[in-house]
Amino acid sequence: MSFLKLDGVTKTFGGLTAVNAVDLTVEKGQIYSLIGPNGAGKTTLFNLISSIFPVSAGRITFDGQDITRTPTHAMAGLGMARTFQNLAVFKHETVVNNILVGLHSSLRTDLFSAAIFWGRARREEIRARERAEEIIEFLEIEDLRDLPVGTLSYGQQKRVELGRALAVDPKLLLLDEMVSGMNQEEREEIGRFVLDLKEELGMTVFMVEHDMGIVMDISDRVCVMHHGSKIAEGTPAEVSADPVVIEAYLGSRSRAA
Amino acid sequence: MRTGHFQETTGQLIALTDSPAVIGWTGVLIAGLLAAPLVVGNYELTLMVTVLIAVVGAVGLNLLTGTTGLISLGQAGFLAVGAYGNAVLMVDYGWPVWLSLPAGGVVSALISLLVGIPSLRLKGLYLAITTLAFSFIVSHVILYAEPITHGPNGIFVNGAKILGVNVQKGPALYYLTLFVAVCVVLMVLNMQRTRLGRGWLAIRDHDIAARAMGIDLTRYKLLAFVVSSFIVGIAGGLLSLQIRFINIDVFGLILSIEALAIIILGGMGSVAGAIMGAVFLTLLPEAIRIAFNLILTPGSAFYSTYVYEIRGVAYGAVIVAFLRFKPDGLIGLWRDARKYWSNWPLAY
Ligand SMILES: Nc1ncnc2c1ncn2[C@@H]1O[C@H](COP(=O)(O)OP(=O)(O)O)[C@@H](O)[C@H]1O
Ligand SMILES: [Mg+2]
Repeated sequence: MSFLKLDGVTKTFGGLTAVNAVDLTVEKGQIYSLIGPNGAGKTTLFNLISSIFPVSAGRITFDGQDITRTPTHAMAGLGMARTFQNLAVFKHETVVNNILVGLHSSLRTDLFSAAIFWGRARREEIRARERAEEIIEFLEIEDLRDLPVGTLSYGQQKRVELGRALAVDPKLLLLDEMVSGMNQEEREEIGRFVLDLKEELGMTVFMVEHDMGIVMDISDRVCVMHHGSKIAEGTPAEVSADPVVIEAYLGSRSRAA
Repeated sequence: MRTGHFQETTGQLIALTDSPAVIGWTGVLIAGLLAAPLVVGNYELTLMVTVLIAVVGAVGLNLLTGTTGLISLGQAGFLAVGAYGNAVLMVDYGWPVWLSLPAGGVVSALISLLVGIPSLRLKGLYLAITTLAFSFIVSHVILYAEPITHGPNGIFVNGAKILGVNVQKGPALYYLTLFVAVCVVLMVLNMQRTRLGRGWLAIRDHDIAARAMGIDLTRYKLLAFVVSSFIVGIAGGLLSLQIRFINIDVFGLILSIEALAIIILGGMGSVAGAIMGAVFLTLLPEAIRIAFNLILTPGSAFYSTYVYEIRGVAYGAVIVAFLRFKPDGLIGLWRDARKYWSNWPLAY
């Protein structure tokens, strides 16, 4: 049984077909990369998987469950978390609070116990805070803990966003251009984190990435999209040797030049 | 220079405050507030009740507008519903005030769903206009539902007793209001440090990311409406006890604008800011009155003739000055001052 499976997933915006009948399968424990020129529809595909947009056609199953019509806010509870291509942090809030939001669906406090903040609510908050501290330690951002995220550097904010996604305790982690805007050192650190997630926690990671170094180094499988359609899939070596892929990249680059 | 300190347990990390100084000064403040009726005169006590009611209303509005980012110009509407709820239940149905006051809050909370549900998809200016329209509708309904609300005649609110004590005047009213204000502040502070408060803040800062993290937007926005209007409704009930006669003129548009001004001035999203803003804006007219009395020759009618104009200009000037020079409000000023002192004599 495949872990994440897309069948003929399509999304149109008015007349524009941003994602066109995409089939793909991600197996449990894989690092699966999605690449393609700008505007290929990668982010839109992520928005469909995480149910930010409804699909125009097709079917998505995750961990044995049809999630095609599941509301966005139920995804975290099912074990799916994501980061966004353009930072989507809670910028007025501290690093700790951002990460705590990721724990939302694992917490149970209701209105009344929250207002009293005694007994269960308090115990739950203590547990949540301990978990948040573990994540902060894993990502090596202890010094930033109490700073508003909006005051941090771009790379640091990205890292907080990753921390928030990890707080969901996801089985599937979607990373949309995690390292864009980062320097080489930061990129290598993120690459190492992602490998750790797979190897130590057995997490499945599905990432959209432009940094070919990282894609080729750590991916188990690579999928290539162009103009909304999937044009190739395989191991990093297979994909990088595929003439269709080379044509898509060179073609778009020469047009852009 | 004060040095940082480190917490030993996670329990300390999530406490409302970890600083002995804050606990100490809060104690002093509470003691001072409790002792106030022994020290100050009747006029000052009435003023303090007004301030406390403003605090309750501001903390309520702040939850919706400051914390959740849903701008409301309907504060007067919720105040009116709470005030009428309390007044009608108490006067016409004979409920004891300890029941009718929270019941007014509940009515206000329920009515908030009427404006909350249809405006779930609205943000910013659109929501502000919708809530404004809501407060006009409330006025109309109150005016025309004469059998229940006494319409244009208004309601005299008298005879509220708790344990046989009249709680509509003097120290009794003051203590009742203080008790409610302290409860409301503690409740909201508590909510803000749980997943509820974080959910509201997340919606304000980035609603798509909030949804992806598992926050149900519909539920949390409605929850913010309900909790906020419950608190504001109670402020309305307290107001009806204090002023003892209510009609729709009490709940004009200016009240909604003042409420918004209070939380802008205090610093959006912060409970302490809302409190500071409420104290500051409620006492501002008083300060102006005293200032004019010092400047003008005794017996001059200038101030009393133009009291509303002068107030309006002063409110406007203060708000513009804050928006221009200190957009994070009084709480921002306070934080700067604290940073300065705790780092002194170093610059940063
Ligand atoms: N919300 C939207 N409304 C309309 N068009 C969109 C929307 N989101 C994306 N698109 C369009 O879909 C296409 C694919 O965009 P996107 O998925 O962001 O590409 P990628 O992430 O691969 O660079 C682009 O042509 C883009 O303009
Ligand atoms: Mg993209």
